[in-house]
Amino acid sequence: MNDFLLFAVVPYLAISCFLLVTIQRYRQRASSYSTLSSQFLENKRHFWGSVPFHYGLMAVLAFHFVGVVFPKAVLSWNSAPLRLYILEISGLALALLSLVGLLNLISRRLSSKKIRKVTTVGDLVVYLLLTVQIVSGIYVAVYSNWGSSWFASNASPWLWSLARLDPQVQYMAAMPLAVKIHVINAFLLIGFFPFTRLVHVLVVPNHYLWRRTQVVLWNYDRTKVRSGK
Amino acid sequence: MKPVPLYLSPLLFVLFGGVLQAQAPSEDTYELFKLSCVSCHTIGGGALVGPDLKGVEERQDRAWLLAFMENPQGVIDSGDPYALRLLRESKGQVMTQIPNYTKAMGEKLLDLIAFESELEKSQFAGLQISERPLTQEDVDLGKALFEGGERFQNGAPSCLSCHAVHGLTGLGGGQLGPDLTSVYARLEGRKPLASWLSAPPSEVMAPVFQKHPLDGEEVLALVAFLKETAEAGHEEAPANSFPFVLAGLGSTAVAFVILDLLWRNRYRATRKPLVEKSKR
Repeated sequence: MNDFLLFAVVPYLAISCFLLVTIQRYRQRASSYSTLSSQFLENKRHFWGSVPFHYGLMAVLAFHFVGVVFPKAVLSWNSAPLRLYILEISGLALALLSLVGLLNLISRRLSSKKIRKVTTVGDLVVYLLLTVQIVSGIYVAVYSNWGSSWFASNASPWLWSLARLDPQVQYMAAMPLAVKIHVINAFLLIGFFPFTRLVHVLVVPNHYLWRRTQVVLWNYDRTKVRSGK
Repeated sequence: MKPVPLYLSPLLFVLFGGVLQAQAPSEDTYELFKLSCVSCHTIGGGALVGPDLKGVEERQDRAWLLAFMENPQGVIDSGDPYALRLLRESKGQVMTQIPNYTKAMGEKLLDLIAFESELEKSQFAGLQISERPLTQEDVDLGKALFEGGERFQNGAPSCLSCHAVHGLTGLGGGQLGPDLTSVYARLEGRKPLASWLSAPPSEVMAPVFQKHPLDGEEVLALVAFLKETAEAGHEEAPANSFPFVLAGLGSTAVAFVILDLLWRNRYRATRKPLVEKSKR
């Protein structure tokens, strides 16, 4: 019964919340679809926080996505142990990359007075959930390996069963605690998503992933202004 | 005597059919039996780890069987002579308790065993796996299946995904499931291990292998490989994640170097360089 609550009720609640609130927020407060950039308040440490966090996390998410959509291809790739080890090491490295990035971002946010002023409760919730998510993911990768294979054999059919509205919770019921924490926390992230800064993920196209540096032009004598003359 | 009117025949079927023919057990009971019993018992196929259950109620009464299913260790500890005989026959292997066992569950399972015992051949009469001698080719195939080089026909993941075994190279096997170096000895031989592999009852494996069951030859090959591993007398080594973590940390460092190179001409900090430039 508890497994049904965790692996069927929680996911459906989270996804319903995600869909309904995302739409409602867009209709009523479209301009709030932003991260409320803090780069102009403090940006020295931004590079080593934002860049590894975002690219690491996107790659890890892409790995999960491939595991859900193409489980057979993953098992086929993993059929040679060397390829399995390469995939697992890459996954672990990307997760560590995003963890270092996240820790940098958290310390930057907490250590700068200006940024603390613009920090909301929602931001703190996001940081907490993301920390739990990444740390539990790394723990699972190290102590319940090899996750890329059993994700394809157990988690993928469970997620598809959710999509078919026929939840087969027995695939996940006997997984270790860390795996359960990782999975449930993922759905908490999805559920909280529309209430937080995470909505920036939905701003399509996410042009800031590949746009070039923006050029800032002044049409006045900037030397004078900056030097105070 | 007048013939029975046709419209009464369904009624008669319901009234007497049920008496003449024992009611077939439900799908759920079959699932429960498959999940909890077949890895150690057959119905009419001989003993595995546990005894053959064909006609079990002719050997012991239902009340005793229900008590034993509820608490096998308790009945053994009470000094019951029949339970002690079973224990001797299974070489000291105490029956595992069925998860969330209830008396109603036990009744249903005994009904199923009675029903299947009456059939000429029960579907649980044991494995259709060959008794032929195991060869070196079997051992090699078993190793390839374990590691994944040879894929299972029905698409099941390789054993290495979740299990370690002595002799793996590289980063070794998975840790989600137990080390299988001495599983052949633990389950006491070929038939019980083959039976276990044919319908893995563990909670993580059961749903996967019900959909992707192992083929008879594959089971035999794995048994051959695990037999050889167990008989070589290797110790089960404690799991060692250190090389994996080290490789992960090294790759992370490399990733940072790459990021640094990629962005060397780009904005690490947007405002400061602009301000600096504007002062020049």
